[in-house]
Amino acid sequence: MSVPRWIALVLALVLAALLAISIGAMSISPSDIWKAISGGEESVPVLVVRTLRLPRVALAALVGAGLGMSGAALQGTMRNPLAEPYLLGVSGGAAVGAVLATTLGFGAAVVPLAAFAGSIVAVLAAFFVAHTAGSRGDPRVLLMAGVVVGAFANAAIMVVLANAEPNVVRNALWWMMGSVSEGSWPQIAVLLGYLVVGGGILIVIAGQVDVLALGEESAAGLGLDVDRAIQRVFLLSSLVAAATVAAAGLVGFVGLVVPHLVRAGGVRRSRPLFVASALAGATLVVLADLLGRILRPPAELPLGAVTALIGVPFFLSKLRRLA
Amino acid sequence: MPVFRFSALILAVVVTLPACSAPARETKPAAVVRDDFGTPVDFGKSPRRIVSLNPATTELLFSIGALPRVVGRSQWDTFPESVTTVPSLGQALRPNVEAILGARPDLVLLYASQDNRDAYDRLRRAGVMTVALRIDSIAQFERGTRLIGRITGDSVRADALVDSVHATLERVRAATASLPHPTVFIHAWDRPIIAIGGGSFQSQLLEIAGGRNVYGDIAAPSATVTLEDVVQRNPEYVFASPISAPKMRASASWRTIPAVRAGRLLVYDTLLIGRPSGNLGAAAVSLAALLHPGAVR
Repeated sequence: MSVPRWIALVLALVLAALLAISIGAMSISPSDIWKAISGGEESVPVLVVRTLRLPRVALAALVGAGLGMSGAALQGTMRNPLAEPYLLGVSGGAAVGAVLATTLGFGAAVVPLAAFAGSIVAVLAAFFVAHTAGSRGDPRVLLMAGVVVGAFANAAIMVVLANAEPNVVRNALWWMMGSVSEGSWPQIAVLLGYLVVGGGILIVIAGQVDVLALGEESAAGLGLDVDRAIQRVFLLSSLVAAATVAAAGLVGFVGLVVPHLVRAGGVRRSRPLFVASALAGATLVVLADLLGRILRPPAELPLGAVTALIGVPFFLSKLRRLA
Repeated sequence: MPVFRFSALILAVVVTLPACSAPARETKPAAVVRDDFGTPVDFGKSPRRIVSLNPATTELLFSIGALPRVVGRSQWDTFPESVTTVPSLGQALRPNVEAILGARPDLVLLYASQDNRDAYDRLRRAGVMTVALRIDSIAQFERGTRLIGRITGDSVRADALVDSVHATLERVRAATASLPHPTVFIHAWDRPIIAIGGGSFQSQLLEIAGGRNVYGDIAAPSATVTLEDVVQRNPEYVFASPISAPKMRASASWRTIPAVRAGRLLVYDTLLIGRPSGNLGAAAVSLAALLHPGAVR
């Protein structure tokens, strides 16, 4: 990808973040934004920027970055344009964890942990199913196993929610629609940790994904342990996606579509694809969150729905170049 | 909308007229009374086996002394505690018709939601007198109580209950009328944040108790709102449940609201104010005690 395109991607994210920090229910002057960042007085507008808008913009950016990169890595490794973290059991497992924690009466502190644990269990289950099927790293078997584990998770959620209290159902649905409205700095720090480690390793081993793209036989011929490489990418991408789900619930569509958009922009090799998908994913989620809270005031639209609402037209406009 | 309003007006007049002119009722039957699905209500049957699938009507039956005749309730009807001695028949919306028929009722009370339309039609086709009522506002409570009292033959107690609630509400209204009415945000839920809107009886109670709902402009009983919008509306008081209040006081996000920082986040009695019931008067008194301590005695 050319240097001007990289600059445009970074600028788009910076611009989206600035817009999201400036716009909201309360009109806030640039000087208040500066005071909020530089640690000035504690007036109401400054507090709104500092404790409400900055954390949610930061969380939105990290969630989008994680999902974008995770999707790019999975699509490349599986050599399947439909591969995405949510298809591989991450979302289903996380939802089961979150719904169970909510039903059992656990509070907001436990739900993210339960979601994280659920998604890891689901991913490992998919992995185990594929393994017992005698295929350690066949992408098609892994995909199938993920879809089946996801279907089982959905069934489990329906059974639990069918007779749950209305309040539990409301909490569970809200969580499944995704939101960054409660972003807090400790939560952001944890997610950043997962992104730096998981995403960092993905970027380091991106070269293996390029080799995998040549086909398994060619990759093996080039001396790559194909099964292990696929497993590694699969687990790392799931881990990154699970961390985003724990922080913000289910934000659909980003992991599926952002990598396609970036490829349509002319990025072919894995390493730049991962980085560009992270930047584009972050921009998309920051914008979606902004729209979600200003389109129908005073209510807030579910983040997971808005990402699709603004992502789909963009996707369709690029479809010709993708086909 | 005007057509709907007009028919609602007629409904209100038709229903409240006979109730207001109590002595004339025995001798001269009033115009047809319809339930909230528009079906004429049949009086004079004195039901012996009642199924009530709505926390509001079940509590109301308890209040007018008809609980011994209740043979089924929904799983959500748990207040007051003595109603839990009645067997639960499951959901209140889209209920299990077979379970209801199994209780051999001669009267079924359902919440008047479109979710219940199908069960309503099936039960009527099965020959069971079924009445659908929406009890979400103070007026609907008063009307529903008098109506159910007439159906079950407990009019005296039903009318006494309505009159006592009405008298208490008017007493609170009079005591706070001349006082300043501060704006209040009533926090109903935290994920997502849900505010009580102008269409709720809780908003009506707040006005009677000498406050103004900061989301009174929302016609719905409740609505999801963003925290930033609450900050923008700058309520003078925030009312929250005993469970939510401590978390909100400790939360940096909630403390962006000046009222929360100034210690004007108050705990309201969610059990008392949770449903329109015979406790509406006591609920208004408790809200007034939060906003205007000592004004109502």
